[in-house]
Amino acid sequence: MAKIAIIDDDPDIIDASSLVLTSKGHEVITANNPDDGYKIVKENSPDLIILDVMMNEPDDGFFLAQKFRKNNINTPIIMYTSVSKTTGIDYGVNEMVPVNEYVEKPISPAQLIEKVEKLLHQNIER
Amino acid sequence: MFNIILLSSLTMKTISLIPSWAQHYEEFWESVKIRNAWFIKLRYSAVFMLVAFLTTTGLLFRISFTPVQFYAISSITLSIFLYNIVLARLQKNLKYSDEGFNPIHFSIVQMVLDLYVLCLLVYYSGGIESPLFLLFIFHMVIGSMILPRFVIYSSACLVILVFSGIVFAEYSGLIAHHSIAGFLKDPFYNNLSYITVILSVFAFVLIITVMLANEIANKLYKMEENLLDSLDKLRAVEIEKENYITGVVHEIKTPIAAVQSYLDLILGNYLGPISAKVEEKLKRTRSRSDEAIQMINNILKISRLKILDDLGKDELDIKRLVCSAHEKLKVQIESKEINFSMIDNRKNKRKILGDKFLLEIGFSNILSNAIKYVNKCGKVIISIADSLNSVEIKVCDNGVGIPSGESENIFQEFFRASNIKHKGYEGVGLGLTVVKQIITKHNGTITVQSPSSLASESHPGTCFTITLPTILTHS
Repeated sequence: MAKIAIIDDDPDIIDASSLVLTSKGHEVITANNPDDGYKIVKENSPDLIILDVMMNEPDDGFFLAQKFRKNNINTPIIMYTSVSKTTGIDYGVNEMVPVNEYVEKPISPAQLIEKVEKLLHQNIER
Repeated sequence: MFNIILLSSLTMKTISLIPSWAQHYEEFWESVKIRNAWFIKLRYSAVFMLVAFLTTTGLLFRISFTPVQFYAISSITLSIFLYNIVLARLQKNLKYSDEGFNPIHFSIVQMVLDLYVLCLLVYYSGGIESPLFLLFIFHMVIGSMILPRFVIYSSACLVILVFSGIVFAEYSGLIAHHSIAGFLKDPFYNNLSYITVILSVFAFVLIITVMLANEIANKLYKMEENLLDSLDKLRAVEIEKENYITGVVHEIKTPIAAVQSYLDLILGNYLGPISAKVEEKLKRTRSRSDEAIQMINNILKISRLKILDDLGKDELDIKRLVCSAHEKLKVQIESKEINFSMIDNRKNKRKILGDKFLLEIGFSNILSNAIKYVNKCGKVIISIADSLNSVEIKVCDNGVGIPSGESENIFQEFFRASNIKHKGYEGVGLGLTVVKQIITKHNGTITVQSPSSLASESHPGTCFTITLPTILTHS
């Protein structure tokens, strides 16, 4: 089973996501701000990172994702978004936004599990 | 002398010709463009009047022209007609910017040409005895509306000098006088005190008129500029407000999203089994919180529409947009066992130009509206038809319908028809406002009709008709 880092400033979202992922046997490590998030990823080398796009600042998630990539941390990233689909902001997946998948809040357990399994599977294949 | 002005005007730095108050260039060029076009139309009328003057005044006022006068005025009329054709063509190719030969230069060229022919016309129709010299004042008033102060004052002084020059040259016999026979009993071009008084009054009136007209025009432009500034500020405040709303609404959405995440965990039995009674109530809680999210999403959509005035310009197939909306709402259609059908009656199948995201929202909202207000096993039909330049989408249902007299208000923010308020349908009445805004922004129209074509006695139903302009590209 995989080690997954969840970085979000909403403790309930961390809790709910952790419950879903631990129920599938994954080990979960968490942080509630970008600095701690970077630290836990650096120290624990998780297999997958789940990152909220808006923390203290509206683009904290993007900057943290870029920081990971700049420092050669190429762990797959799922980004939690809240207003992207609603407002039509299509972040896409590119160099500026180096994430692998998006999950729109509220988090649907089935969708989260599906995307986590997909990325973990892709990572093993590589 | 006029040529000197023309040359000096053309070599002047363009920026000095654009008045300092004309900061909103687009509006400034637009007003110059309108006035230039107006000059051209006016000149055609002048040609018509001159022809009438030459052909009918002799009969009406018992006056006669000498052959020299007749040929001179005829030639002047023909010249005006010809150079007006050239000016009309030139105007079509003018670039509305402050680079190169621009509309202000064009106005000056027109003004100089007109003054030149007006001088000739006044000279050949009697000089100081000709009533046509009053047209100088009219001409200067028009110039005052467009040209900067120094140009118009210089032109006014020049007109006074040239006209006085003609009058005094005629008086002193340096040039021939062409009085119109039968017009005056006693000619007064050779009466020094009379012409001096007339010229002094003319100069005074011309300068004062130019001053007043220029002052009023400047004030009007400044008022217009202030108005545009205020509009810009209002727009900036509106964007700030909408950004604030987006932020606040996002903050509201966050805890609801957390609540929903927990509800999904419990309903998904991640925290252990729950009783059927609890499950039923939790499902109801989930559905009500869904409405809150939907409401929030609608507010975010409206804010986005207000913030982003520039629409995407995707070439879109209308059928695909409708199918995509149907796909999104398939679960609701199936769960209510709705008899859904789509009829494509298009002949030209031309695409539309628009913002894919916004139009998808529009069609989803209109379809979800139909689904919401039909009963179980109800009917929803979408039909698409097109003409040469537009496509028409009709979304008809046999749902609750709209009470008579309320159709006009259905697109207003937060309006909910009286029949749905009392029947316990949830919602805040933002969906159709969003649809209307989206369609209007795409230069389309949306109308509503109730009862619909699917009406029965107990189910009047509603029919929404959306019309959007199409482009030449085919689907």
